[in-house]
Amino acid sequence: MKNLFTISLTSFVFSSALWIIWFFFVVQIEGNPNWIGSLFYLPHAARVLCVVYFGWKAVPALFLAELWGPDFSIFDLESLINVIPALISVLSVPLALQTLDWFGFPLGNTSASPLNKRNYKHIALITMISAIYNSLFVNLMLTKFSMSSQEIGIDQIVRFFVGDMLGTAIVLLILAMMLNPLFNSQKVN
Amino acid sequence: MKKFYNDIADALNMLSSLERDLNIHNFSPNELKVFHTIVSSEVNSGIKSNITDVVESSGLSRSTVYKTLRKLSNQGIIALDQSPDDKREYLITFS
Repeated sequence: MKNLFTISLTSFVFSSALWIIWFFFVVQIEGNPNWIGSLFYLPHAARVLCVVYFGWKAVPALFLAELWGPDFSIFDLESLINVIPALISVLSVPLALQTLDWFGFPLGNTSASPLNKRNYKHIALITMISAIYNSLFVNLMLTKFSMSSQEIGIDQIVRFFVGDMLGTAIVLLILAMMLNPLFNSQKVN
Repeated sequence: MKKFYNDIADALNMLSSLERDLNIHNFSPNELKVFHTIVSSEVNSGIKSNITDVVESSGLSRSTVYKTLRKLSNQGIIALDQSPDDKREYLITFS
């Protein structure tokens, strides 16, 4: 249970911040068409980064942020069944890591590790597999329990997949640019 | 807390290698601003931006944007293609 509080707080704040930024852009483009926001789904980056770097300990905080994120209130839940898509979305990343582990690619942080958390290409692979799981299982759930007002087709599954990939890529790129002064100061020192 | 700091250090290492491979590690603040403006504009609108768009969105002067784009183009990060609609305008694409 070491560092659980720190990890939970970091994951919750990071995920919530991405939810707020994502909502800001969705409001700015006036949601026209209404699915446009799902094409650059920034919160997926928080799921990937927190689970990859902090492990299972980040899952409860990410789940809480996932419940809070869409409406900025966790008290509006009409039914417990509504929390399952959020849970699936968060669990898509541990599931992707577990799948890679089953195929002989456990996660490590050295160049000898089959899956290296310091290598952004490996992070991209984890993002891709988790995006596949997220798009498939969430849409399956929405269809199974008739939770969507619109008909769910292959286009929505592809859109979820592309949105998760693109959203994570944008966050990584912006973080890399924002942290540029830090990297440069490390080189000087 | 040591494990937590090590995890953060791993994440920073990953971002640093991404930055290095994208060749944006030696960007000046103006180059970062122009690069960020081009990326954001392309993601939001889905179309290639031109120099006027970058000037308007970045808030930098036209001459600063021109100089910065030339530098990025010389480094092979972006390419400047003449617009088919307006011969005086250039479209910006990533190389």
